[in-house]
Amino acid sequence: MFRTSAARRASRLARNFATVVDTAGVKVAAVDNGEATSAVTFLVKAGSRYQNKPGVAHALKNFAFKSTSKRSALGTIRESELYGGVLSSSLSREHLALTAEFLRGDEPFFVDVLSSFLTNAKFTRHELQEYVAPVCESEATAAAENPASRAVELAHILAFRQGLGAPLFSTADNHVTVDYIKDFASSAFTKDNVAVLGTGVSQETLSKLVEQSLGSLASSGSLSSPASTYFGGETRVDSHHGPQTVFIGFGKTGAFSPELAVLSSHLSPQPSLKWSKGLSPIVAEIPETASGQTTEDVKAAGKAAVAALKEAGNVKGEELKRAIAKAKFAIASSAEGRNGLIATLGPKVLSGAASTLEDTLSSLDKVQASALSQATASLLKTKPTYVAVGDISALPYADELGL
Amino acid sequence: MTLFGPLGLSLAPYIRSSRTLRRWIKPFADWYVGLAGYRKVGLRYDDLLVEERDDVQRALTRLTPREAYDRAYRFKRASQLSILHTNLPKDQWTKPEEDVRYLKPHIEDVEKEENERKVWDSVHVERK
Repeated sequence: MFRTSAARRASRLARNFATVVDTAGVKVAAVDNGEATSAVTFLVKAGSRYQNKPGVAHALKNFAFKSTSKRSALGTIRESELYGGVLSSSLSREHLALTAEFLRGDEPFFVDVLSSFLTNAKFTRHELQEYVAPVCESEATAAAENPASRAVELAHILAFRQGLGAPLFSTADNHVTVDYIKDFASSAFTKDNVAVLGTGVSQETLSKLVEQSLGSLASSGSLSSPASTYFGGETRVDSHHGPQTVFIGFGKTGAFSPELAVLSSHLSPQPSLKWSKGLSPIVAEIPETASGQTTEDVKAAGKAAVAALKEAGNVKGEELKRAIAKAKFAIASSAEGRNGLIATLGPKVLSGAASTLEDTLSSLDKVQASALSQATASLLKTKPTYVAVGDISALPYADELGL
Repeated sequence: MTLFGPLGLSLAPYIRSSRTLRRWIKPFADWYVGLAGYRKVGLRYDDLLVEERDDVQRALTRLTPREAYDRAYRFKRASQLSILHTNLPKDQWTKPEEDVRYLKPHIEDVEKEENERKVWDSVHVERK
């Protein structure tokens, strides 16, 4: 009795946003799997690639849930805490996400909190100075102290220059003022730039609430970002905290490429079984005794990575099947759970594409060995992006690694 | 809650709202401002507010850097005039259109926020 009902319940679990309703110009999608808590995310196309001045997107993200015409900052926090909700905002290069997680039944209040930031935030000067700027500064410092995130940030600048290469974080040197933030907010917060995603709420409730609260938004804004172009380059940065870090990248712009996803899963050193060495060709080349602490180890690992990448075009047969399966699992599991669902399918909803992973997974199934070797060869022809963070006198140069 | 002084209870809003009262009392108010003499040493009315209070200190942090610098300059100039026992030459007196209440809105905001905090700290919560 219990087993059949569990099976019936499992088969009815929604794994993607079934319908995307256009509510007064805003895309609204909701899925309800019967969780005890609900979450609503406002996904806005206000990532760092759209900012007109460096650091403005980061400052806007940290201005979330401060004073609006309706509620002060203190009132927002106190009232949300009394309801037992959790408010958060996050920024990526493409999107700004404002999320509220709360108990079922409190949707009107939290949708109002999120939408009042979009429609009537005050952006006062003293809040910028007292609350927002210190948080921006500490987040930027934390990212700069971490060699891996610093390397990725520099790699983006080298690889894409404008747009995707715009800095993700904001420091005091950027001199961001409330006027810049207001400008950016007014051009980014428009109906065609916003998607409202809900989990644990019904589509009708969410659509009705969004219609009431976002009805006053402007229809279309002036925010645009040119199509990305890949450049590439090399840089070295001195750093004395954390491990020696080297970033090696090749770039290609355009839509999702299943061949490159398979290539990435073939080379990925993440083992499927914890504590095992894994079957990645990169890990196979690195000697057992390497501790990973010295620049010699980093040089050996870099050489192994480049050699494996050059050989990776010849993958076929069992190895290819293994790589495809790994890639399929990675993509399918990225949409598991509430956060994964929003992170993976949210951007699809916002861009108007089909909000399901079926096409992606079936395109991975169709990858052939010849297509893979072609994609790898054309990728290797592009200019590599090489970033070294650490002891710059000892870390290798790009040509020493075979790039 | 302040009772007396420029930050306390005042009939001014009521007088301003009535045209007749305004017509009769404004000349007397202007004469009093001249007699007070703060404009003759280049100060504004909000420079006279008692700043040794927590709410006024919070409001002062909300001035723009330019406003804060100008305020410090006015104080320095007025202090020097006080040592010399003189006033400024007449063309340098604060003009009525310059005598803007630049600090009062910030003090009112601070008072509103503090009252809001007191309300939230003592709110009685009931689940619907």
